[in-house]
Amino acid sequence: MDTIERSQHISRRFNEDLERVRSQVLNMGGFVEQQLAKAVSALVEGDSTLGETVARDDFEVNRMEVSIDEECSRILATRAPAASDLRLIVAIIKAITDLERMGDECEKIGYIASRLATQERPADKYREIKHLGRVVQNIVHDSLDAFARMDAEAALKVARQDRLVDEEYEAIQRQSITFMMEDPRNIRRTLDVMWVVRALERIGDHAKNICEYVIFMVYGKDIRHVKLEDVESQLAQRGAKN
Amino acid sequence: MLRNPFEDWGFALWRVLLVAGLGALVGLFVGRLWWGIAGALAIELARQLANLNDFLDWMRRRNRRDPPDSGGRWGDAVSLVSRLHRRKQFHKQRILRLFRELRRSTASMPDGVVALNADREILWFNRKAAELLGLRRKTDFGINLASLLRVPEFARYLEKGEFSSSLRIKPRIGEPTCLEFQGAPYGEGQLFLLVRDVTRQAQLETMRKDFVANASHELRSPLTVIAGYLETLSLGDDLPEDLRVPIQEMRRQSDRMTAIVSDLLELSRLEASDEQVLGQPIDVAALLAVLRKDLVTRDVGKHEVSVSIEAPDGLMGDIGLIHSAFWNLADNAAKYTPAGGKIELRWWVDELGGHFAVIDTGPGISPEHLPRLTERFYRVDPGRARDTGGSGLGLAIVRYVLQRHGAELRIESEEGQGSTFACHFPRTRLVREPVALTDDSGYSPIIGD
Repeated sequence: MDTIERSQHISRRFNEDLERVRSQVLNMGGFVEQQLAKAVSALVEGDSTLGETVARDDFEVNRMEVSIDEECSRILATRAPAASDLRLIVAIIKAITDLERMGDECEKIGYIASRLATQERPADKYREIKHLGRVVQNIVHDSLDAFARMDAEAALKVARQDRLVDEEYEAIQRQSITFMMEDPRNIRRTLDVMWVVRALERIGDHAKNICEYVIFMVYGKDIRHVKLEDVESQLAQRGAKN
Repeated sequence: MLRNPFEDWGFALWRVLLVAGLGALVGLFVGRLWWGIAGALAIELARQLANLNDFLDWMRRRNRRDPPDSGGRWGDAVSLVSRLHRRKQFHKQRILRLFRELRRSTASMPDGVVALNADREILWFNRKAAELLGLRRKTDFGINLASLLRVPEFARYLEKGEFSSSLRIKPRIGEPTCLEFQGAPYGEGQLFLLVRDVTRQAQLETMRKDFVANASHELRSPLTVIAGYLETLSLGDDLPEDLRVPIQEMRRQSDRMTAIVSDLLELSRLEASDEQVLGQPIDVAALLAVLRKDLVTRDVGKHEVSVSIEAPDGLMGDIGLIHSAFWNLADNAAKYTPAGGKIELRWWVDELGGHFAVIDTGPGISPEHLPRLTERFYRVDPGRARDTGGSGLGLAIVRYVLQRHGAELRIESEEGQGSTFACHFPRTRLVREPVALTDDSGYSPIIGD
């Protein structure tokens, strides 16, 4: 039910092409995961070189996106895929855009981290970011796992977790406002920190998008801009029918 | 055993003829010979068909039915088939038992095992692997392993297909978990992957490195103070005569200690990273000339030091590190070779790459010491070594420097025949036209004899 039939192709080469492009996407995902972990740790540990490395390595993500994009166009042009294969290609094209954006957000965090590393570090502040970073990393990891396994149920579960990030974002924002009101000298740094928190929140959203593509791939159903509860009930109905 | 098929075949034929004959008799009796024969044969045919039907019926539901009790050729067929069936059943059971046994034994293995096909998709894994890598039974078969364990180094390790060494990675950055992978190819491109949890080992290693680095750093400042005062004292004129010798000795020992501490610091700096050094082109000929000059000026006339340059190629590397490695080797040779001995510094290039060797006519090293020679503080002769004044870290430094240049150290020695310490650099490290050197550290090996 939750795996797509991928084995019934007349052309073995076609199958191999699809598999290769899929593992390329997950390779790219792995690299983005690493970038994210490095960026957060650069900020929390105050490691400016690591931050710069992250910002510099973003070109690698862009390169991967371009190469996967070209590969997808080639498959579309030469193989004219249909049904689930077409959905896979479409989902991949969308997913790499999201991954690339995640890479950009990581670059931003890395850049800010290297700048903040030169300044005095607040004792408690980065603990919040560390926690938020952990949550976002888990979401990204789980969404890519769902993509690798074509597991729509897991994808739905991850998509629901995105709310956690939003709540965390709210909390940090409120805390930062009090922090700035207490001492206006903190404003500059706190604004920088808010950029990081914002970037992390965006990364969570992109991960959620990837989960939506997984559901699209498996069920052929577009669930963007639909409430998650509705999606769940619809999918449950489908499950009952099958 | 089967009866002779020809006899039986004959018997079956006779039987048909007998039936036909009986039919003929009956036919004659009623006056219609051919009808009689045809009728008898038809009955015989019907009997055969009924037997065939029984046989097929039994074949279809072999496991639940007793074999049909038909005589003659059909009986033979039934017994043959049931014998084959029993034998197959027996083998199947045996293989199944073996397979179950195998699965149970691999499940109890302390290491994770994953079998991958040529496309690196998961064929099979044991329980420990599932636990270490977060794999799931049922859903994860047929998925590319690098897609689930998305660590770039791991994907590169699988892609490179070079499994002589193992790979150590941290699957999640920021978490201490550290896994070691060792691939073993088999069959037609399949791969057996062993996974081990080495978190504890990795932590211990980091602790050890940190300790050495911190300890040597902390020792340095008090040592500087001690050495400074000793120097002032020994230079002063008002020193009582009976203290002069002890203070000289203390100065010598504190110098030695400073050397050890700075070697330890250099080692921990080298150890901190595994990354390959890029560096700049080094003029090896010039470097060796400088080494020779330094050796000769230090121990005047003690040894005969010769340099032989057999190739014009230079070397890509960090000049500071390479100098310290080469100097350590040359210095060792000078220390252990008795006066009047010969030391040769040699540089040559062949299809394997560039080679630097220090060849001496010293006392040589017995074979049991060779593998342990590059360990820290390892001494061939613990009693004798201290008066040579070395830190005991020289060869360890050489090994790390070479490691970071993709090179390796090979030591050949025979007792009483002298030793050869050779550094082998890969071809990629060679440069055709070495640039005349000056470098940031202010060190410039330019010939000045």
